[in-house]
Amino acid sequence: MRQTFLAGCLCAPLLFSATFQLSAAPVTFNTALPVSKGEGVVRVQAKYLSATDDPGPMSRELTVKALPIVGVWGVTPRWTLFGIVPLLDKTMELDMPSGRSKRNVKGLGDITTMVRYAAYSKDQLGSTVRIAPFAGIEMPTGTDDEQDRFGRLPGSLQLGSGAWNPLIGVVATAQSLEKEWAVSASYKFNNAANNFERGDEARLDLSYHRRVWIGGPTDGLPHFFNAGVESNGVWQGKNRNNGQKDPNSGGTTLYLAPTLQYVTQRAITEVALQLPVMQNLNGNALKQDFIFTLSVRLND
Amino acid sequence: MRKTILLMIMTLLWSAPLLAAGTQYKLRVDGLSCPFCAYGIEKMLIRTEGVESVTVDLEKGLLIVKVEEGVTLTEARLKQLVHDAGFTLRSMSEQPL
Repeated sequence: MRQTFLAGCLCAPLLFSATFQLSAAPVTFNTALPVSKGEGVVRVQAKYLSATDDPGPMSRELTVKALPIVGVWGVTPRWTLFGIVPLLDKTMELDMPSGRSKRNVKGLGDITTMVRYAAYSKDQLGSTVRIAPFAGIEMPTGTDDEQDRFGRLPGSLQLGSGAWNPLIGVVATAQSLEKEWAVSASYKFNNAANNFERGDEARLDLSYHRRVWIGGPTDGLPHFFNAGVESNGVWQGKNRNNGQKDPNSGGTTLYLAPTLQYVTQRAITEVALQLPVMQNLNGNALKQDFIFTLSVRLND
Repeated sequence: MRKTILLMIMTLLWSAPLLAAGTQYKLRVDGLSCPFCAYGIEKMLIRTEGVESVTVDLEKGLLIVKVEEGVTLTEARLKQLVHDAGFTLRSMSEQPL
């Protein structure tokens, strides 16, 4: 069940894709995405997670490919709606009594909708500071009863949780033409479905980007090339199976991620490589190797 | 007399494009900090009836908005448009083209 944690680490950042009138915004979390009233932004990400460091006897190797599509809409200058639709492909290889086996599932994951309110904003020449709380809910659109020839897949390999899981958080950003800071804190209350309940999840995400190059057309908006570093602290509680806590689930992971962004007026292309610099997982957990993210954001 | 009338008509016709050149607004906008978000305000303004062009200077936080002849954008209207785009209008000036 600890793979639940890994899958959560991959998918949870996809959930936090709010809007803001801010520029580049972080790569590994989305709470600072910019949009104007009546405007839309679409962000498509391709993520690849690898976890092969298994201290247990089964030599588990997990790969998760995810394609989250994030849609953001500015309802008013302060209120923003967004939805995140994740497409998932999870594969677990492990030693079983019958030999080395592969378990795979692919399809639609749990869709998340959120709303964000820009409670504080202060604009100055070439810079802006914003603080915005947000709230949302993860809906059970992904199946949670997938089976293969070995039987029902464990909860960690299911596409969805089967439960309605609310989340709350707050994001703060400070940006100038040269650099940008963002911090986002959130908590997701996971609920039970089919006798399985993922542990709650708390996140603290930080981001720092700096403009390292400016170019593009001389008669229009310039293009920016940003380099940055982001960190994601993720704590997850223990899962519950039939009401009993799973001692081999949950824990804390801290990622550091170098990032690159190419920013134009119509699109942002960005990459990040999240490396787990600290993994304090409960019990016999499968540890992560990395998460690679390639992302494209488009103005409508 | 005919020549004079003809000359007056020609002068009027020649100067008509100048008279119909419209107005240019210079907006000082706070909060502009990247091309991606600046495009939002550009779109917001260009969709406004009568607006012919919008030019954004990020470094100076300056927007140049050109409108057709006979179109007037009040400060309140521009303030609202800038606000809807997620920014703050610091000041504005206008001059005929």
